[in-house]
Amino acid sequence: MDSIRNWRRGWMGLALLAAVSAAGASTLAPTSAFASKANDTLNIAWEREQPTLDYYFQNSREGIIINRHVWDCLLWLDPKSGEFKGLLAKSYKIVDDRTFEFEIREGVKFHDGTTLTADDVVGTIQFLTKPDTGKMQNQPVAWIDRAEKTGPNSVRIYAKDTTPLALLYLSADIPIYPMAYYDKVGPEGMGVKPIGTGPYKVTEVEPGKRIVFEKNADYFKGSPKGQPKIGKIVQRTIPDVNTQIVELASGNLDWIFKVPADQAEKLETLPNITVKPASTMRIGYLTFDAAGRSGENPFQKLEVRQAVAHAIDRQAIADNIVRGGSTVVHSACYPEQFGCTQDVAKYDYDPKKAKELLAKAGYPDGFKTDIYAYRDRNYLEPMIGYLSAIGIRTDLHFGKYAATRDAIRSSKVPFAFMTWGSGSVPDVDAITTVFFGGGPDDTSMDADVQKWLAEGASTMDEQVRKTAYAKALSKIADQAYWLPLFTYPTNYAMTKDLDWTPTADEIPRFFTASWQ
Amino acid sequence: MSVVSNGLPTAQEIVGPTPGQRLRRRLFGHRGIVVGGSILGVIILMAVLAPLIAPHDPYEQILSARIKPPVWYERGTWEHILGTDQVGRDYLSRLIYGSQISLMIGFFAAALSGLIGTAMGVAAGYFGGRVDLVVTFLITCRLSLPVILVSLAVVAVIGGSLEVVILVLGLLLWDRYAVVMRAATLQVRSLDFVAAAQTVGCSTWHILVSEILPNVMNQLIVVATLEFAHAVLLEAALSFLGLGVQPPLPSWGLMIAEGRNYILFDPWLIAIPGVALFTLLLAVNLLGDGVRDVTAPENRG
Repeated sequence: MDSIRNWRRGWMGLALLAAVSAAGASTLAPTSAFASKANDTLNIAWEREQPTLDYYFQNSREGIIINRHVWDCLLWLDPKSGEFKGLLAKSYKIVDDRTFEFEIREGVKFHDGTTLTADDVVGTIQFLTKPDTGKMQNQPVAWIDRAEKTGPNSVRIYAKDTTPLALLYLSADIPIYPMAYYDKVGPEGMGVKPIGTGPYKVTEVEPGKRIVFEKNADYFKGSPKGQPKIGKIVQRTIPDVNTQIVELASGNLDWIFKVPADQAEKLETLPNITVKPASTMRIGYLTFDAAGRSGENPFQKLEVRQAVAHAIDRQAIADNIVRGGSTVVHSACYPEQFGCTQDVAKYDYDPKKAKELLAKAGYPDGFKTDIYAYRDRNYLEPMIGYLSAIGIRTDLHFGKYAATRDAIRSSKVPFAFMTWGSGSVPDVDAITTVFFGGGPDDTSMDADVQKWLAEGASTMDEQVRKTAYAKALSKIADQAYWLPLFTYPTNYAMTKDLDWTPTADEIPRFFTASWQ
Repeated sequence: MSVVSNGLPTAQEIVGPTPGQRLRRRLFGHRGIVVGGSILGVIILMAVLAPLIAPHDPYEQILSARIKPPVWYERGTWEHILGTDQVGRDYLSRLIYGSQISLMIGFFAAALSGLIGTAMGVAAGYFGGRVDLVVTFLITCRLSLPVILVSLAVVAVIGGSLEVVILVLGLLLWDRYAVVMRAATLQVRSLDFVAAAQTVGCSTWHILVSEILPNVMNQLIVVATLEFAHAVLLEAALSFLGLGVQPPLPSWGLMIAEGRNYILFDPWLIAIPGVALFTLLLAVNLLGDGVRDVTAPENRG
């Protein structure tokens, strides 16, 4: 009988609920099921599916992490001293504003046994300057004009214009590929079977699920990255934070990141877990389709955008939910970045004024809109609450990062809650220019702003750069093209066996990690 | 009752209880109906009186007062009897307002699908022949569609909202009505009183509405309660998956979804709406079972 089946289903539900509550109450008695230290295997997890391992065809944080482990760039920015050192380049020389010369290190081997040559460097750069390859990494390579082999082991890279961030991009975002291999397998092959020179090699990939890294025993001596110590790193994609926490507590995982403040607080009380907070260069923001790319929408009106800005109590969200020292951000960049002034129009929490502005824009009773988001639902929920208080009703589309950013790029999104970590580049060029410089992510298409940003990116004169960026940032704030929200301090949680220190750039470097 | 002088009972006393009295006695003597009915009654009262009995505004978020535990926990207060949620909204108030949404979805979805299913089932059972063939074909088509998958796809394409969820569920859940109504009508239509009605020249419409429908009503009610529960459960599932009712509406399914991240350390955030949902479904199912027992005692199984 159906009703009997329903009965049974109900009771089973209750029993399950009780079991779950009991599990929660006993606070996850830690058992070290997998002694990772004994196996010399570091088990890590993150929540996103990595669409491809080819660095140039994705733009996520996880891709940056993979990049640092599997590949090397020409240069290396020492996170402690802030100096540029040669990595795949033994030395480098700035010939003039637009010309950089590198002497390639000899005897460096790729994971497949071939030797790194100047041709690999030139080939990689040439690939990046080719139009229409469909690559996702644009801003960090847009400045390059061409590369040229000037000797058996020397390469010159020419910039299109004066580029203050050239060395920074060369040290972070331009890994050198084995071109003979890349020409053969292309981005598809590199995406599942990546080969580089880095301290870890990828030995197994289950796309979107699992990546196994093994120590590169032949990693070149004298690398400023240091030699890897831990033998094996196994990454798994676990989309649910709670599952990650349970696995960490039970010893199946050794390291997780982006742990929400609420859970981090409780995790700290477990005996075998360490929680390490650290700042990041990430900020959250609400982006409006001010240019009307997705079709006619209320956010084309300045008053509506300002109303949203006044409606949300960003301070309260930063203080109560994000926590860990999160501060409200007023301009479209991370406050510590070069050129990021906070001296712009500020929108304080004032729901009354927000309602007046909405009425002035012709929406006295508010309106209904789609909102897109891909992470931090717990930060988004209060924002939706604040918006509904002034009459803006939202239809939430919560999706994956790649899909959400694609939807924005292809002009389908009127309103979105996004975050950006600037690829850990401490300069507004890595954030403001990406989203306001006229590229595929520009949703406001303001010619003035584009002009000033281009001005700031094409000179070495710091004062001129600062002035140009300040003009751009203050117009962005005046026009409320974005509502910058708050900074994103993060929490790393790991087993006490692991000796690893977070850096302020949100890039875990496991080649510096070891067992206690 | 007065007793006449000769000491014999009156005619009324010999006749015994009237059919109404007997029905009432059966209703109140059935434990399922009493328990299910009173729980459902309380929930309906809660929904109707929500603005009066809810201690706080269910939408008012006070971020500095978030995740306060219910009163029976150590840090609980009477200010928020069931605590507050992850953005500092009073959980009891949200639960009370949430009952409106669950009942609304259950009622309208069951009614809409009931309308469709009954019309199809009765038509198939009464007319037979080609009509029956078409309806049976439609039922088979409908049964081959997985409800959750179809509603997920539809909602994902046209966007989730309360109205959409009600419509989608209403348009999907009619299969059981149609099957049951068809079978019941087939039985009833061959009975003598239908033949009698036909002979005296009653219109088809009159026969369907006055002769057939009242006699299949008890099955209809039982199926309706089942589908009510089914719709409430599906709404919770859709909302949990982020495709049902939109935040900040206080739907129970959505409350469970929003509390999901806290299941390890603050399990009551998910347990309270879960228990509420369970109680409502239990009550509706008890009531449905009871109604079947009472209206068709010979079918008691």
